[in-house]
Amino acid sequence: MLFSSVGFLFRFLPVFMIIYLIVPAKYRNSVLVAGSLIFYGVGEPNFVLLLIFSVLVNYGLSEYMFWEPAGPCKDREKKAVRRRKIALIAALTFDLGFLFVFKYWDFVANTLNGLLRGEYVPLLSLALPLGISFYTFQMLSYQIDCYRGKLEQRARLIEFMAYVSMFPQLIAGPIIRYEEIAGRMRERRIGVRDLENGLKLFTAGLGLKVLLANQIGTLWNTIMTAGAGNLHLSVAWLGAFAYSFQIYFDFWGYSVMAMGLGKMLGFRIPRNFDAPYTSESISEFWRRWHMTLGSWFKEYVYIPLGGNRKGALSTTRNLFVVWALTGLWHGADWNFVLWGIVFFILLVIEKRGLGQWLEQTKVLGHIYTLVLIPITWVIFAITDIRQLGAYLGNMAGIHQDKVMVGTAQFMRYLKEYGILLAACVLFATPYPAKWYHKWKDRWFAVLVLLFIFWLSVHEIIIGSNNPFLYFRF
Amino acid sequence: MNTNKKTVKKNEIEKAVRKGKDGRAVQKNNSRNSEKNNKDSLTKSPKRDKRRSSQEKRSWKEILYNCPYVLLVSATAIAAMLCSDEIGVNVMAMGESAAAWKTEAGSLADGMEQAEEEMSDQPSEDETHTEGFGDAEAGPEAVSGAVEHSAKDNSGDTEERTDGGAVKPGQTAGQDTADKPGITRFEYYEPQQIDSYYYSDAGRIALTTEYDYVLENDSYFNDAAFLGDSRTLGISDYAGLDGADFYCDSGMTIFKLLGEDGVTYQKTGEKVDMNQVLQEKQYGKIYIMLGMNELGYGNTEMYLKQYREVVEQIRQWQPEAIIYIMANLHVSREKNSPETEFNNININDKNAASALLANGRDIFYLDSNPLFTDEDGFLNAELTFDGVHLYAQHYDVWRQFLLEHGVERR
Repeated sequence: MLFSSVGFLFRFLPVFMIIYLIVPAKYRNSVLVAGSLIFYGVGEPNFVLLLIFSVLVNYGLSEYMFWEPAGPCKDREKKAVRRRKIALIAALTFDLGFLFVFKYWDFVANTLNGLLRGEYVPLLSLALPLGISFYTFQMLSYQIDCYRGKLEQRARLIEFMAYVSMFPQLIAGPIIRYEEIAGRMRERRIGVRDLENGLKLFTAGLGLKVLLANQIGTLWNTIMTAGAGNLHLSVAWLGAFAYSFQIYFDFWGYSVMAMGLGKMLGFRIPRNFDAPYTSESISEFWRRWHMTLGSWFKEYVYIPLGGNRKGALSTTRNLFVVWALTGLWHGADWNFVLWGIVFFILLVIEKRGLGQWLEQTKVLGHIYTLVLIPITWVIFAITDIRQLGAYLGNMAGIHQDKVMVGTAQFMRYLKEYGILLAACVLFATPYPAKWYHKWKDRWFAVLVLLFIFWLSVHEIIIGSNNPFLYFRF
Repeated sequence: MNTNKKTVKKNEIEKAVRKGKDGRAVQKNNSRNSEKNNKDSLTKSPKRDKRRSSQEKRSWKEILYNCPYVLLVSATAIAAMLCSDEIGVNVMAMGESAAAWKTEAGSLADGMEQAEEEMSDQPSEDETHTEGFGDAEAGPEAVSGAVEHSAKDNSGDTEERTDGGAVKPGQTAGQDTADKPGITRFEYYEPQQIDSYYYSDAGRIALTTEYDYVLENDSYFNDAAFLGDSRTLGISDYAGLDGADFYCDSGMTIFKLLGEDGVTYQKTGEKVDMNQVLQEKQYGKIYIMLGMNELGYGNTEMYLKQYREVVEQIRQWQPEAIIYIMANLHVSREKNSPETEFNNININDKNAASALLANGRDIFYLDSNPLFTDEDGFLNAELTFDGVHLYAQHYDVWRQFLLEHGVERR
């Protein structure tokens, strides 16, 4: 189920909220789990069982970590340490193995078969369970935090299930660490103001997703429909910016909706984006883009590897590992690996001095970021390496095929999407968020949000009437 | 917390009521105690809570004042759910309106329907067995028969069918090319049972009208008009037919073509009223390709009825023009979705219907699908990004195809 669907907005959410608010506080976690499983199961009826299985295995292992045999025992401390290690390794193996089989098996098999020129490794052709990368990473963070003894209170089974499956963040994050919500998980009160602010935030996110991301997405699709190899330089860049906006507002919108829903449920879901496109360097960009993923990799990969404390060479290696993994996390294909590696290279260059220089000249920093980020998104967007090469060539003015989408089309696109593009630029700055926080309690803000809500619903209905969503032929 | 439990519970119920989705009974029950029980649960920290609850008691008014947005959304949502079939669960009304639509369409299109049934039931005698096309399940049982639209041997039987199906030729054009009209044949296969309001499996695929076409050069398009949706827009943008006039929009349908909203004339980028354009300017050829946006709008009968009206109207305004009815291009395997109405069986259903209008004299049916589809009838994945539209460079093939299907007046 998607947040931006009639089914969610007018069926699931009201019914769920009424039940959730009516039941006594001690049953709220159970209601949340049940609701989340329904939310997940509507779209993925088979994978919901997989999710439950995975959650149960993880909970069992985390409990085993702290299990103490009764009675007197020699070397109690030593055995406890060993048990913790075994449990952690088992959990890591299980979770990563799970993720590997569903997400990476076919990619690795295809690559191996290609290298060996034969059908040595069979393909599984499994469908990817929705949100598997997100919830696996949440469970991993819980296991590692447990092992490190960082958690003040460990979760009860129902709390752990609620933590992993909580529908606001189940399918598209943010990735929450258990300590961030542990207190609220045990005891939370939901005030009228929470409902009010939560719903407002949700509406803002809905607007970002439906009114900005979906709309600008048509421009990218239109351009790609003409073909990656036929584009004039101007059109290629326009497409790259359109896709950059699409992916940002889509993801940001989803994260904001998650925060709003979290608030309505009595949680505080961490922020995931902080106006990333106004960054002055790529490293700053990654501190502002998908912040929960960045901090996950930092906390559980980069720092355990030694971070930047063991010399330049080791730092470079650690960055490489983190960025190759970040690339792979986003998708099992070579373009994602390439995408991660590009960031690795850029970050190393920045660490070696370019960063300092950029800080001194802010304008250049902005230009540098705004030129490079669209290029990286193109690498992200186009899975077919040959097409990717053609598109990047177009962006540099190199054409293998005849240019078929030229400046005339560029002007037409500008005319058609000009206002939308201007809105996208505005919403990529930090101002709309500031205005939101400043004015959200005023009556006119309420009316604006109400308008956004119904305009979004209108767009959703038009989209679903036309089964091809935001394509119109 | 424990001592407050009862209060908390009450508050929650009230909040639910305030969300506006609960029964009136609860509200009544609570309003008696609201003054007493409505201690603040609005702030998060228990400390502040305590302090507040001792200081002030919130009235209903104050709480309502705190959530105007929730109230507004809830109220409008309830109103929308009651009024709108899209949002609400007004299944009864939906069922009724669909049924009404269906009967209306049925009664209006009756003549056409009969003609159509007649044709699909009785394929002509020279049947040959060939393999099904575009449908894996068709298998070897699929039968291919040629249906003749126009009179080949002037037997009374076929003559009748012509009257039922194809649009009558225009006066002048009819006389000009009357000697050897083209034939529109169908390829038959075993149809699937489809449970959809929008379409059924036609069980036959319309083939390009068989005719003695002439290979033309680009000047052929100098007096041509193209009417269509985004795929025609693609031809306009990338096929390099600079002489022709293109009237097309993304999302265009046969229902909207002659409507008041108009269609974008690609040379100026402005919306024009097709009624006016087609009455004022005479074209030698008119190419129509519409049907994609109709896949989930109305059903095939309505589509055919409307198509027929449009073609007849154009025939009246443009007695000299050769009308080409172009098949809608299939979609790719990835985009083909049997669960929704967005699939090749539906596209094929629409195509087979529109092909009935071809008369082989001045109305021709052109199926360009064989140029771009694989052996199962899916749009070749390598030719498309979105599974629907061709990459710009492949429109050249289409242009060539159109040039090969010139019709010369004698």
